[in-house]
Parts: sequence; C-alpha cells; structure tokens
Amino acid sequence: MTSVHPLPVPGRELANPPTDGISNLRFSNHSDNLLVSSWDKSVRLYDASANILRGEFMHGGPVLDCCFHDDSSGFSASADNKVRRIMFSHGKEDVLGRHDAPVRCIEYSYAAGQVITGSWDKTLKCWDPRGASGQERTLVGTYQQPERVYSLSLVGNRVVVATAGRHVNVYDLRNMSQPEQKRESSLKYQTRCVRCYPNGTGYALSSVEGRVAMEFFDLLEASQAKKYAFKCHRKSEAGRDIVYPVNAIAFHPVYGTFATGGCDGFVNVWDGNNKKRLYQYSKYPTSIAALSFSRDGRLLAVASSYTFEEGDMLHEPDAIFVRSVNEIEVKPKPKVYPNPPA
Amino acid sequence: MSTPKNDPLIQVETTCGTLLYELQIIWDEVGETDADRDEMLLELERECLEVYRRKVDQANHCRAQLRRTIADSEAELAAICSAMGERPVHIRQSDQNAGSLKEELSKILPQLEEMKKRKIERRNQFVEVLEQIQKITNEIYGSSVSISSKTVVDETDLSLRKLEELHRQLHELEKEKSDRLKQVQDYLNTLNSLCSVLGMDFMLTVDEIHPSLGDPKGFTSISDDTIEQLATLIKKLLEVKIQRMERLQDLATTMLELWNLMDTPIGEQQMFQNVTRNVAASEHEIIEPNTLSVDFINYVEAEVSRLEQLKSSKMKELVLKKRLELEEICRKTHLLPDSDCAIEDAIEAIESGFADAATILEQIELQIAKVKEEALSRKEILEKVEKWLTACDEECWLEEYNRDENRYNAGKGAHLTLKRAEKARALVNKLPGMVEALASKTMAWEKEREIEFLYDGIRLLSMLEEYTILRKEKEQERRRLRDQKKLQGQLIAEQEALYGSKPSPSKPQSVKKGPRYSTGGASNRRVSLGGAMMTTHKPDSLHPAKATPKTRPSKKNERMQNDHLNHRHDDATVFSAIRRGLDIVDTPVRKHSSTPRASNAIEPESPLLARKPFSPITSAVSAKSNTTNMLEVEDNGEKSHKMHHQNNDLPYATPLKTIPFVDEENRTPKVMPFPCTPSTVSVPMQTAMTPAATPAPIPFAITKPVEEIEQSFEERRLASLLSKTQITTSYALVRVCAS
Repeated sequence: MTSVHPLPVPGRELANPPTDGISNLRFSNHSDNLLVSSWDKSVRLYDASANILRGEFMHGGPVLDCCFHDDSSGFSASADNKVRRIMFSHGKEDVLGRHDAPVRCIEYSYAAGQVITGSWDKTLKCWDPRGASGQERTLVGTYQQPERVYSLSLVGNRVVVATAGRHVNVYDLRNMSQPEQKRESSLKYQTRCVRCYPNGTGYALSSVEGRVAMEFFDLLEASQAKKYAFKCHRKSEAGRDIVYPVNAIAFHPVYGTFATGGCDGFVNVWDGNNKKRLYQYSKYPTSIAALSFSRDGRLLAVASSYTFEEGDMLHEPDAIFVRSVNEIEVKPKPKVYPNPPA
Repeated sequence: MSTPKNDPLIQVETTCGTLLYELQIIWDEVGETDADRDEMLLELERECLEVYRRKVDQANHCRAQLRRTIADSEAELAAICSAMGERPVHIRQSDQNAGSLKEELSKILPQLEEMKKRKIERRNQFVEVLEQIQKITNEIYGSSVSISSKTVVDETDLSLRKLEELHRQLHELEKEKSDRLKQVQDYLNTLNSLCSVLGMDFMLTVDEIHPSLGDPKGFTSISDDTIEQLATLIKKLLEVKIQRMERLQDLATTMLELWNLMDTPIGEQQMFQNVTRNVAASEHEIIEPNTLSVDFINYVEAEVSRLEQLKSSKMKELVLKKRLELEEICRKTHLLPDSDCAIEDAIEAIESGFADAATILEQIELQIAKVKEEALSRKEILEKVEKWLTACDEECWLEEYNRDENRYNAGKGAHLTLKRAEKARALVNKLPGMVEALASKTMAWEKEREIEFLYDGIRLLSMLEEYTILRKEKEQERRRLRDQKKLQGQLIAEQEALYGSKPSPSKPQSVKKGPRYSTGGASNRRVSLGGAMMTTHKPDSLHPAKATPKTRPSKKNERMQNDHLNHRHDDATVFSAIRRGLDIVDTPVRKHSSTPRASNAIEPESPLLARKPFSPITSAVSAKSNTTNMLEVEDNGEKSHKMHHQNNDLPYATPLKTIPFVDEENRTPKVMPFPCTPSTVSVPMQTAMTPAATPAPIPFAITKPVEEIEQSFEERRLASLLSKTQITTSYALVRVCAS
C-alpha cells in the first residue's frame, strides 16, 4: 500500500498503520507512547520514538476515539456503543459501559478520576473506572445534551462539549447537574473540533467551513471582547475560495500555541495571542484527521487519513507521521506590526 | 672565791688596814682616848654594816624584780602561744633549774620577741581575711555594716584553725559572690536579649535597678536586693514578651489568612516574612531584635488593618459585582430586582457593621440563583415578548414609512427599505396572532405560578391589552383618515373644477419631514441599518437554490455581487470593509450593551412629546392629536405612554438585536429576532455565494437539499459502513450536506 509522493513527507511514518481511517491519536502524558483509534475497529499502541507497534486491540465496531489512563491502560469509544478500558500490558480489555448510540469522543479527567464520554445518543456520561465491572457500578452520571455530541475537551475541572446544531455546553466537573454555560458556536457551520487552552481560560473551536473561533470562559465584557475567529485551511483557485473543514486542533503543552489540521492536508501552527501563523508544514498526502503533541512538545503526531468529507471514494492510504518539532515552529513571536500587509 | 676576785678585796682590805693604820697613827698623834677610839671604831663598824645591809636589800629587790619579769615574760609567752594555738615549747620546768635568773631571762626574751612578731603577723593575716570577709558580706548583704568600720580581731584566738576557718568562710563567700555574679550576668544577658526583642533600652532598664549593672567593666552589684529586682524584672518582661508574642502571632495568623484570601503577591508578603515566620514559634525561639517592639507590633497591626480594609473593600466590591450581576440578570430577563436590598443599602449595612459582607454576599447569591431559576421559567415567554416588541417596532416603522409619500423614489438604499417594508407588512399581519398566543401563554404561566408575569415591573397582560386597544383605536383612526382624505379629494376636485388645478398643500411638508425622521438621529440610522439587514436576510432564506457551503467567490467578486445582488447579509456592504483583507478579525462584541439601560431608565421621566423629533410618529401621538375628548386624551396618552416607550425605545434598548448582524462571525443567534437554526442559515448562504453558472471546484459535492438533518462526516461514514454491510438502499437519503 505504499504510494509515491513527489514531496518529501515531513516526519517519520510509523510502520503498521491502521488499515482504515484514523479517528484519533494521542500521545501519553508520561512517555512517547502513542494511542491510535481507527475505523478498522482497532486501537493501536505505538512507541513513537522507537517506531514499534506495541499492541493492537480489536473491538466490535469502528473506534471513534481513545485516550490514555496511564502508561499501562487506556480507554476507547466505539461505534458499537461501548466504552472500553484497555490494559496494555495484559492485552486485556473490559467494558466500562454503554451508550444508546455510537460513542463519539472520550476523555479521562485526572482532576476527577473519571472517564467522560460523549455520544450521538445526545448524552454525556461520566464513568468511574475504579468501579467494579458493570455499568451500574461504573456509571457516575448521564447528562442530556441538546444534540449529538461531536467533540469534547477538558481542562482542569472544565468540560467543553460541542454538539450538532452548533451548541456548546460548558460544564464544571464538580457540579455536572447542569451546564455552567450554554453557548452557541460563534461559527455558522457544523463544529468539527473543540480544544481547551492549556491555561484554562477558554477554548478553540473549529468548523467544517475553514474557520477557528477563539473563545473565553469568562463572561465579563473585557474577556469576551478578546474573542475572535479566523479563517484557515482555504485555497484560492481560479478566483474562488475552496474552503476545507478543520478537523483537528492540538495545543502545544509548553508554549500554548496550537496546530490545526484540515482536509486540505496542511498542518498550520498558530500563535493565538499575537494572531499570527507561525508555521505551515508541507502538505500531507490526504486530510489531517488528528493531531497530538507529545508531553514535552518535541514531537507532533499527524494522522494523515481521509475523513470521509466527500463520501465513499478512493483515497490515499492512512498514515501516521511523527515529526520532531523545532522550537522556532511553535514558539510565539512577539508582535511587531498589528497586521502585516497581506 | 677565785683569786682574781680576791685581788680587789685584798686591796680593799689593805686599803681598810692602811686606813685603820693611818687612823691609829692620826689618833696617836691626836691622842684620842681609847674610849673615843672604840666609839669611833664602833660607829665605823655600824656604818659599814648599814652599807652592807642596804646593798643586800637592793640586791634582793633586784632579784625579785628579775623573777617577776621572767614570770611575766613566761606568762605572756604562754598567752601568746595559747592564742596562737601552739604548744609553748619553751615553758620552763620548775624543777629543772636552768641556771641563774639572768640566763633564764635572756633565754625567754628572744622567744617572746619572736612570738610577738609572729602574733602580729598572724593578726595581720586575720585582719586581712576578716576585712575581705567583711567586704564580700557587705557586697552580698548590702551596706548595712559600713565598710569603713574597723574590723575587730579576737586577740584571744589567733590559731591557725581559726584562720583556716576564716579562710574557708572567705572562700565560701567568694564562691557565693562568683555565683551571684554569674547569676547576675545571666540575668543581665537574659534581660539584654529581652530588651532587644522588646525594643527597649537595656542600659536604661538596668540603671533603674542598680546603676552599677550597666557598667560592664566595673563593680557589679550582686546584693540580694539587686538579684531579686532583676528576677522580678525579667519575669515582668517575659510576661510582656509572651503577651506581645501572642499578639504578634494573632496578627500574623490574621495576616496569613488575609493573604491567602486575597492572593496577595509574594513581593508584598516578603516584607512581613519575619512576622509570619514566627507564627508557630514558642517564646524562646523569638530572639531577633525588635521583633516584639511596640513600634514593630504597631507596624504589623497597621498592615493587618490595611489588609482588613482591603478585604472589606474587596468584599464590598464583590457584593457590588454580585449585585450588578443580579441586576444584569434581572435586566436581561426584564424582572424588577428586589428593591429591599439595593446596593446602597447593602453597602451602608456593611459599612456600619450592621451586616456581614459575607452574609449579604450569600443573600445576593441566593437571589441570583432564584432569579436565574425564575428567568428560566420566563425564557420562553420572554422570547415571544422580544419578538412581539420587535414586531411592534417594525409596525411603527412601517407606519412612518407609509406616511412618507416619497417612499417609492429610487435612491440610495431604497431597495433595502422596500424589502424591509415588505417584510414588516408580513410581520404586522402576524401581530394579532402573536399577541394572542403570547397572552394565552402568559395566562397559562400566571395560572401555573399564581403570580403575575411582570415585564420590567409592568404586567405583561396589561401591556398586551393596552396594545390591542391601541391597535383598535389606530384602525379606527386610519379609517377616519381615509374617509377624510376621500372627502378632501372631493373638495379639491370641486375646487379644481372651480379654480383650476393647484398643488396639493400637504405634499411638500410630508416629503421633507418623512425621510428626515427615518434617517435623522444616529439611533434611527442604526434601526434602518438593522432593518436593511433584516430585509436582506429574508430573501436569502427564501432562495430555494443551493450550492456547496465550502465554495464562495473570492473577495472582489464577493463585493461586486453584494452590490448587485445584496444576497449576503454575511458581508454586508457597510461592514465588509472592516474585515476585508484581514485574515484574523478582532470583533468588538456587545459594546453597546450598557447604553440601553441608561436611556431606558431616563425614558419614563421625559415627557411624551420630548421624544418626538427623534422618533417615528407613533399611533399614540396621532391618537392624541386627533381625539377631541380631552380627558380621554390624557388617559390615552398615559396609557399609550408605556407602550410608546416600549416600542420607541427598542432601537435603543436592544442593540443586542442589531449588533449580531454587524458581525456575523461572533453573533449570538439566541437573541436574534428571527428564529434561525444553523441549518437554515447556512443553506441560504450557499445559494448566495455561488450562482449556479460558475463551475467552481467543489471539494464536497454531496449536497442534497432535500435533507435537513445535520450529520458529521463520521455519522455519514458509519451510515455508509452499515449500508455497505447491510446493503440497504436508504444510503442516498442519509447522505446529507455536511453542514
């Protein structure tokens, strides 16, 4: 399945990639291990620095999201409605519980010690993975959402839930009874991805129409005045713009800058504070499905995998690239001119 | 009798013999009688005897004298020996004759001399020791016995034992003295450290007890009195120290709490590090000079009180903020905030110490929660009210517009106005239904909750009622006007028939006045702008055609299209300039949200007519000018005043509604006057952007306008996957536009 790329592919391609679309990938908080979920019903654990496939776990349906618990276990969200825990060392997995529809996204909160899942059954569920097996033991709570959950992000005790219908609910993990804030996306089109700022002051939200909105939790006017949105992942061709969905946002753990990945196959790095693009990596073979910085921000994992934006069609093979990140690519630059002439 | 001794005697005898012989010769010569001679010789013999006797007596006396002297000496010697506690070695044994008396005496005398000398020496030793004892005693027991008084030595006992005893005594005294000195020194050291910690002058303190204590070199008082005083002083100072320490630690604890509470910056904390460091220290651990001085404690106290003040002001601020938040929520939900806990009252209560800021805060928070809850229940109705009020606004505008006879003149933006009018007409037609629905909803709400639904303190139902009445009146008025016009028309026709044609008198006025109103004030400009956008919005949503959401004309084309088609409210011509060419846009949001309240608050006080120049002439005004019954006018005026104010005020009161149009990127559709779900918004967007003629590169070709269900790529993918496995035919129906 190797295809010929005229361009030098940026970064090292991992061997044994998933055989179908990559739904998400994440670096561990403790090592350079990389957890990858895929539409081929598998969750794979790679050692990204050694380029070794450490383990592969097959599920009953496509896996839409995965996350680490610690270096020995992780969680997965599957389209067979189940939420699973995977023990890497034993090669074991058990079912934490289930939703009524495919589980779209999953996060583990170190603050609450809970797994949080969002599903197309229009609910958010919190699980206590320490509970004995069985849904009634592990399920902490179910929280109704206005629409199907599309994306989920955590920072501290805050949970930001983005759903269909452009709803955005902000929860406090300590009081999940009702949203702390109910918002509507500032963008006019369907939400693709939401990610909280590492400093916990807000979140970035991307849509299918080549835009990213930078939002702030604080409802004071002064804070809200800071929010803005910008266009990205577009192409001007023959006098018209082609606009691509922005599938992935990943914040740099050290500098707070962030990378976005779009269906145009580009990965851009942005400085949100100075409103500047810091870097654009050369084009990847196909859409960027997911992005993740390693714990120290030295590595960036890029899932180059068709995201079905144009339906069932032939596409480039799914691949994972791990590239080392130069400081200059992600370090914020002080602003010289408010806006350089375009 | 030894020979040498005989010699003088012989000579004496010879002399006597010769003398006697001489005498015999003389006598012979004289011829003395024998009797005379015998007598003379007897006398001579008697005289000689007398001399002998006398000499013997003398010798005897001398001997006795000698003996006494010896005895005396011996006695003295014995006394001295006994006093000195020595055995009298040289005491003469009475039986043992040591020789003549003179020998004996000569033997004793040097002994005596020797002993006397020794005695004096010993005595001097005694005196010396005793003097020292005396001196030390004086030092210890105070100067009750004068130092100058001569020491009395007990002469009878000068023995070595005694001396030794005295020495021992002296030694003891010396030891005691050194002990005391040490103690005093200890005390002084303690005192010194105490004084330094407490910030007192050590010398001054010590001088009060005994002036000698302050002098490090010289004599130091060690009397009982001094020691006692020192001990008392130390005890007293220690008490003071402990007291102050507790005070300081109290202050430090408070300070720490306050820091913690207010997140005081480290830099500010550093200055008081030496205070807080001692929070848990025990008495003996506090040794740093001045740590417990009055000045320092005052200084710390001042800081604490400053912090307290800061805290209370922050608390106050917090109360204010919460209160404002409450009011903001109330304002947003058109509830009247509880008047019983106005900010001023709360602040006053806090300042007077009457109420604790924390409890007030709690109260306010409780209220906020309550109001929020109430707001939730009111939300649905409020949305309807907003819609109704917007509609009323539009109605007013429409009325005004209809009055403008120049309205069909083509001019800048005329097409926008036309569109708006078209839309407003549709809206006005819907108004009665809207009012009815609102009223029934409100009634249901009131019934359920058994309280009146108040909108800014006015009962909503009465507002609605007033509005309906007003509307009816307006209708009548309109009918009347129409009749009048008809009549006038007839009259003019008659006059024309009589005097020839004449320009209509009413025309020039209305022509000039009308447009000026609609574009006069800044506020009206905003209204018309908003209106313009609203109207452009409508055709958008009506457009049936559809294209991909991802393609759009590049900016230059876009602008041109805007000018021609006016389809895109997205990049309204007025604002597109701001964003053009900028990839990232700063968006001012809700800058005006604070202004409406102010105008709203002032509004009710201003007389009705004061607003006239800047507001469209409403039915209320016209009704007033046209009614004949004065009483009714008053009534009407007042009644409609509220309505009028509500309607009229909208452009000011709700910039939220217009601003969302200003910036479509960050608008908040919640407050949009028209329910507009994202899907319906996005659909017209697509049509607007791509006129079907241009064959644009379309990356996402799946656009089935039939479907309205929003689906993400993943959902479509899963559906596709399922359909593949299940071979169902519903696939085509499920595939939908991504947005």
